[in-house]
Amino acid sequence: MSSHAHAHMPTAAEATLDKGHVLRKLPVPLAVLGVAGIALAFVTAGDDHTQFWFSYLTAYMFWLSAGLGALFFVLIHHGTRAGWSALVRRVAENWMITLPLLFLLGLPIVLGGLESLYTPWVNPKPDDIMVVEKQAWLNPTSFLIAFLICGGLWTAFSLYLYRGSRKQDASGDPAIADRLRWWAPLGYVTFGLTITVAAVNFMMSLDPHWYSTIFGVYYFGGTFMFFMAILSLSMMGIQRAGLLKEHVTAEHYQDIGKLAFAFVVFWSYIAFSQFMLIWYANIPEETLWFAHRAEGGWEWVTLLLALLHFAVPFFFLMSRHIKRRKTTMALGAILLVVAHLIDMFWIIQPTMTQHVTGHSHFGLALSDLLAVVGIGGLVCAVFFWRLGAAPVVVLNEPRMDESVGFENY
Amino acid sequence: MAMVKDALDPVHGRAPLILGNPSYKDITEAVARPIELSNYRGWWVGFLVSASLLGVLLVSIGYLFWEGTGIWGVNNPVGWGWAIVNFVFWVGIGHAGTLISAVLFLFRQRWRTSINRFAEAMTIFAVICALIFPGIHVGRVWVVYYMFPVPNQMDMWPNFMSPLLWDVFAVSTYFTVSLLFWYVGLIPDFATMRDRSVSKVRKLVYAIFALGWRGSMRAWVNYERAYALLAAIATPLVLSVHSVVSFDFAVSFLPGWHTTIFPPYFVAGAIFSGFAMVLTLAIPARKIFKLEHIINEKHLENMAKVILLTGSLVGYAYAMEFFVAWYSGNPYEQFTFINRATGSFGWAYWIMVTCNVITPQFFWFKKLRRNVTVLFILSIFVNIGMWFERFVITMSLSADNLPSSWDYFKPTFWDISTLVGSFGLFFTLFFLFLRWIPMVAISEVKGVLPQANPHSHHGSVSGEDAYVDSAKEVLAHG
Amino acid sequence: MAEKKVFGLLAEFDSAQSIYPACEAVRDEGFKHWDAHVPFPVHGLDRAMGLGPSKVPWIVLGMGLLGATLGFTLEWWTMVVEYPTPIAGKPFFSWPAFVPVTFELGVLFASLGAVFGMFGINRMPTFHHPLFSSERFGAFSDDKFFISIEARDPLFDERKTKKLLKKLGATHIEEVMEE
Repeated sequence: MSSHAHAHMPTAAEATLDKGHVLRKLPVPLAVLGVAGIALAFVTAGDDHTQFWFSYLTAYMFWLSAGLGALFFVLIHHGTRAGWSALVRRVAENWMITLPLLFLLGLPIVLGGLESLYTPWVNPKPDDIMVVEKQAWLNPTSFLIAFLICGGLWTAFSLYLYRGSRKQDASGDPAIADRLRWWAPLGYVTFGLTITVAAVNFMMSLDPHWYSTIFGVYYFGGTFMFFMAILSLSMMGIQRAGLLKEHVTAEHYQDIGKLAFAFVVFWSYIAFSQFMLIWYANIPEETLWFAHRAEGGWEWVTLLLALLHFAVPFFFLMSRHIKRRKTTMALGAILLVVAHLIDMFWIIQPTMTQHVTGHSHFGLALSDLLAVVGIGGLVCAVFFWRLGAAPVVVLNEPRMDESVGFENY
Repeated sequence: MAMVKDALDPVHGRAPLILGNPSYKDITEAVARPIELSNYRGWWVGFLVSASLLGVLLVSIGYLFWEGTGIWGVNNPVGWGWAIVNFVFWVGIGHAGTLISAVLFLFRQRWRTSINRFAEAMTIFAVICALIFPGIHVGRVWVVYYMFPVPNQMDMWPNFMSPLLWDVFAVSTYFTVSLLFWYVGLIPDFATMRDRSVSKVRKLVYAIFALGWRGSMRAWVNYERAYALLAAIATPLVLSVHSVVSFDFAVSFLPGWHTTIFPPYFVAGAIFSGFAMVLTLAIPARKIFKLEHIINEKHLENMAKVILLTGSLVGYAYAMEFFVAWYSGNPYEQFTFINRATGSFGWAYWIMVTCNVITPQFFWFKKLRRNVTVLFILSIFVNIGMWFERFVITMSLSADNLPSSWDYFKPTFWDISTLVGSFGLFFTLFFLFLRWIPMVAISEVKGVLPQANPHSHHGSVSGEDAYVDSAKEVLAHG
Repeated sequence: MAEKKVFGLLAEFDSAQSIYPACEAVRDEGFKHWDAHVPFPVHGLDRAMGLGPSKVPWIVLGMGLLGATLGFTLEWWTMVVEYPTPIAGKPFFSWPAFVPVTFELGVLFASLGAVFGMFGINRMPTFHHPLFSSERFGAFSDDKFFISIEARDPLFDERKTKKLLKKLGATHIEEVMEE
């Protein structure tokens, strides 16, 4: 007997959640949780709202990675005519389609939070030449325009790719696949530029005296690593819910795990390069950023980041066996999710006390957790809403046959 | 099944990797025959031309050792001249081979099997050319062993803080690993050559290098694992090597040099130039050796796409550098970038931008990606552009912080002869490779033929079987 | 004059499709001292033969860690203990600067482990082997697939094993003698 059992293609019935399924009931409670989380964060954060905005920004950049990482994944799938990812493409698209919501969720920052977050350039000291020089880029109007363009492009691409995918469910017309693939390269360019602008504007400008040409790439590395982790967890959740039980195999988890591992290594390489070059040249303008993350208790967070974002996942996810088994891969994925949150926290929050006293002092606030739950609740509400509203795989995916039953080396 | 709109890029299934539906024997013959033929006039012409250029290199190096580095155009403030430009140029070119062998392997891109042998050889020869430059430029060549961590008469040890020393480790490791990877891949093919050889001398030499390979499945299991691990190791290695090379510049505090994006930017640039060199070599080679069905349009197009991608990454890096130079408000940084475009080396800058940014844009167009002449010409432009990129970066030295120190760098005859001679070394090695070593990975190509899948039979749909069905489909529909 | 002993039987197959089930059958029969000889690693044939996973990864991991440790130790010893030199005012123990060489040596040793570990486990080189005495065997590196069953296997029986191989679709079977 051949050891190559021919797995069958998933049918619409096997790929759709039943009407009464518990996952279908999640969107509304999650949305309520989301709003409540944000409101409570606002309320508990104190009178001057600075803490709230910092918590909000941290949570926002964290969850933005889910949408952007997914967008990149879908774009690559189309652009390379990938085969193995056919089974997981719809789930990735469900994360991708949170981008329009994420666009909306960014508006409060741009319209209301700028003064609390970016005091050095919103209200610059007139003798602060370094800020004055960049006022053409760093001012509330330009910031808003830049964000509207980025958010607009994310919305446009995610809607286009999602709609095209749903059309494939219906007709499987190869012309759709060709169109989606045609747009992919332009999507790459758009993605690269917009994620850079988002990272530079939202995070790098927190300290307008500092700059790093690799910053956009740094955020990208963490973003994609994070997305691979939540994709892995999503697929496990879906299988737990009873769908795609025979279709998604150890092979898929291994592939997702391999990409997660690759981006752990990539992020670490970028993070180390950025640090080492700045450390080596020892120019105070640049080193100050890292100095702020080595004082006031932040040095422990730095150490934790290096441990949880590099050392532990590097050795853990190296193993083939770990990547192929759901229990161990889930552990690894959760680790990466936590690590990415710590990364966002580590980039953003030291500047909060730095703006006031000139030094960073570590502090954890309730609003930090509430904001993550808040924005997360809303984002996950959209994810589960789309998960239940359509099949969890792309019916008539042109390369479904390559994804079902494939084997790794 | 729907009609295939574009045979090379179908919506369903995959284009056949090797054209003409060859058998295993056809592959063996196609690759092994050319190196068994005895009359080889064309080869001799190429080899002798290359060897004479190699002679130019040897003379240049000899004179350099005799007279000293003063024979080069290096001056104050341009203390680094063509030596480092050439070094980075050659190391960069090598990166494509490793990418094709290792990274494309990890991504399960089966089309790599037609070009990986060729590209890996190119890598090794490029790295040899690269290693020459740090070796000869030191000035006191008789104590060049100070570079290595070996006990010496001065009780001195190397300076591990220096990126130039990191280069010694990085590039040597890169050379060793590439050589090992290439050799391991060759073992089954040396066995093929051994088993085909008629002449006793050939048989003996191939047999020695084949290490007694018997195609044992038990051995293949360990072989495959080692190969996959080498691929997994070589991937971060290739990233690290050109990053360490970029550190030569980026660890300094010089404007235009000290910028955090250098590592990935250099790596992207390296892959960019490397793939261009693969195209430059593969296009004539496939024609001359009649391997156009094995290295076919699909392979060339894929390489063009990689060039477009990495060229765009290089463009992104240029844009980021420019933006941040403005953003930083640092007048020296701003001056450096404006000076690059408008200063005394502006001519080099515009050659670089034209070749690196404009040239790959042609590859957005399918017709141009699939036109062999266009590919060949543009691949040469890319490499010209990449040489100039390193030149432009190095020439930032000519206009440093004190205008009173500014000076123009002019290459001397010996700068030029050493560069030209290095091409001689590269091509000599390459011609030797073409002469005796199978230039396509025979066993790997056999492994991706439709008939290699033990479970292929009509009507099957899963996994790699998609290749089987679609190959027939595409051939049937044209 | 010493009589040449039988090494085993060598069966020739024409395709990957025919050797795969043949290997499964030989595995199921219970043979232990046997092998398949193929021009490229036929996908899944190791499973068909019942072969376990390779030990190479462990060698690679061990060697990689060894290399990285050696690299870091070398740097620490030369820069901090034996020949400390103040460079750019940095402390003697400047670990960020030690990372590149540590990484490279780790990679180098891991690769050496992969290659020479694989050679070791595969007992390469072995230039003399009874199978090389077969005239047809050379085709394994071209387009034929072989199964060899050694005489030292307890289940080996010249007639019965030959019959089995013939039943499994071998196009040619020959007896190979020891050297």
